[in-house]
Amino acid sequence: MLTVALPKGALLKESIRRLQAIGLDFSLFLDASNRLLQIVEPTGTAQALLVRAQDVPVYVEYGQAQLGIVGYDVLREKHSQVAQLADLQFGTCRLSVAVKQTSPYRSALELPPHCRIASKFVHCAKDYFNQLNLPVEIVPLSGSVELGPLTGMSEAIVDLVSTGRTLKENGLVELEVLFESTARLVAHPLSYRLNLDQMSAWIDRLQQQSDLTASTAAPLKMPVGN
Amino acid sequence: MIYQPPAGARDFLPLEVVQKRWLEQRLQQTFASWSYQQIITPTLERLDTLMAGEAIKPETVIQLRDAEEGLLGLRPELTASIARAAVTRMAGAIYPQRLYYNANIFRRSPTASSQQEFFQAGVELLGSHGLMADAEILLLLRDCLTHLNLHQWQVILGEAGLTTSLLSVFPDPIREQVRRAIAQLDRVGLLALPLTPELRQRASLLMDLRGQPAQVLARVAKLDLEPDQQLRVQHLQELTDLLADKLPLHLDLSLLQTFDYYTGIVFEVIATTKTEVRVVGQGGRYDSLLALYHPQQQIIPGIGFSLNLEDLHQVALLKGHLPHRPPASNWLVVPQQAQAIAACFAYAQTLRSESPEVDAIRVEIALEPRSPAETRDYARQRQIPYIAWIGSNGTPKIEAVDLAQDIAAC
Repeated sequence: MLTVALPKGALLKESIRRLQAIGLDFSLFLDASNRLLQIVEPTGTAQALLVRAQDVPVYVEYGQAQLGIVGYDVLREKHSQVAQLADLQFGTCRLSVAVKQTSPYRSALELPPHCRIASKFVHCAKDYFNQLNLPVEIVPLSGSVELGPLTGMSEAIVDLVSTGRTLKENGLVELEVLFESTARLVAHPLSYRLNLDQMSAWIDRLQQQSDLTASTAAPLKMPVGN
Repeated sequence: MIYQPPAGARDFLPLEVVQKRWLEQRLQQTFASWSYQQIITPTLERLDTLMAGEAIKPETVIQLRDAEEGLLGLRPELTASIARAAVTRMAGAIYPQRLYYNANIFRRSPTASSQQEFFQAGVELLGSHGLMADAEILLLLRDCLTHLNLHQWQVILGEAGLTTSLLSVFPDPIREQVRRAIAQLDRVGLLALPLTPELRQRASLLMDLRGQPAQVLARVAKLDLEPDQQLRVQHLQELTDLLADKLPLHLDLSLLQTFDYYTGIVFEVIATTKTEVRVVGQGGRYDSLLALYHPQQQIIPGIGFSLNLEDLHQVALLKGHLPHRPPASNWLVVPQQAQAIAACFAYAQTLRSESPEVDAIRVEIALEPRSPAETRDYARQRQIPYIAWIGSNGTPKIEAVDLAQDIAAC
């Protein structure tokens, strides 16, 4: 049976809506009373796994899920061997370098060598500063990264920014953008090559839907497809 | 302290060895039945030899430094070694050469904990090109999988030469990026490349050239093909027609490595179990590789495949095909008194000599003094069907052990 890995958190609601629009209903995951992590869609054609966003590419890479929806930021951080089939054009955010408003530094290049950078995105941060040829010490954190500069533990942070409100309210300012991220449709490469469970038909519909979103460049209001 | 093997290495205990041998023997018998001969090449090669085909990244090789020889590496695959041996050591050989191997390989992995030593069995068919050589390799592959009782498997077939040639319409600096995106099935990355609408359409078409052979080839035929490309398409047509009802083939012209030495057909063997889909083997045609090792750069075509024994082991275990226990002894020979020891060894030897082959009858001698009841328990636990009690006069008394009695306890 076709298995889709869905990310807990910010992308879940829209992911479920996109799948619903092509006829796969996993809305039970949005029900606050639901505790199930694995559900079969009412028509019995597919099932979904509810996992942490970082684990979506893991389930897909090992083939326990043939399809998944996950942010590009996670794919970049984890270097996952998965097929990136479509930019679903939602969940837009960016990975940025930020410092305290009172910091004397106004670009990443000005940061002092060997300074500390707090981040959840250890690999992305390392790659970025390597490219700048700036040696830094990356301090891995798993949340509330903004506290790094506020407490004085680190000079700067590398973190996801969507509206910029969290940064602003915590007195931080964005210096550089490493890359922009959106939700991506990913697939297990071998399953995709073999078109297991007729997955290409579902992929085509999700692609058409996101192409449509891109061309109208407006939030999707009505279910599309079918 | 506790002594452990290095991360990435492993021990094979007797049961695992029995299972591994079961796989290896069936493969070797199959290779031999197609007239392939075994070749053994060294585990250590010069790094230059391993890298000559440009398909191996140095960081994936476990390297050693020798004061005189310079940089050496543990082989990450066998094809380079066999190519080297064939053209330098077997000069004047009559082609085609049909060679097989069963060997360990080593791959340095970025994460220290993942596996570094692997076992592969495979073949190389040297000195032959064309339809029949390609078909022989794929049919031999089918034969191997059939003899392993693997039923749910499929072959993804590509054509590296054709795909590379179809990529030549892309201008030089961007061609590598297109190739990488197609090899990694990165459609988002591909569509983000700065391409003209025409080239973008071509790129997107190349990424989707997969499915039933006839349908894929029909789509390729609609492209504006050069004579060489037409020949390659025709070859694929003939090959897939010939193999149509013999192998489960998926034609996939996006099947590429980001860099490799393949020049013609390439393929991966995929086994499907209830819980996963895994690659158990891979291969392809490499018509330019042997010339790299040849003293006069003579071009000798080659094609081969390798099967990953660990992956086959996992799949076969899930399907329950493998032996469940190492073979038990057939006889337990027990001296009843100290005076019977010489007679005991002599009788055991007589039993062994009756065996039609050296290891067909397994005879073990009871080394520890045990009571008759303890001896019977021991035989039951070890699943030994016969006990020969040797008295002081040397005459054996033979007793059949009731193995069924205690089978649940062992």
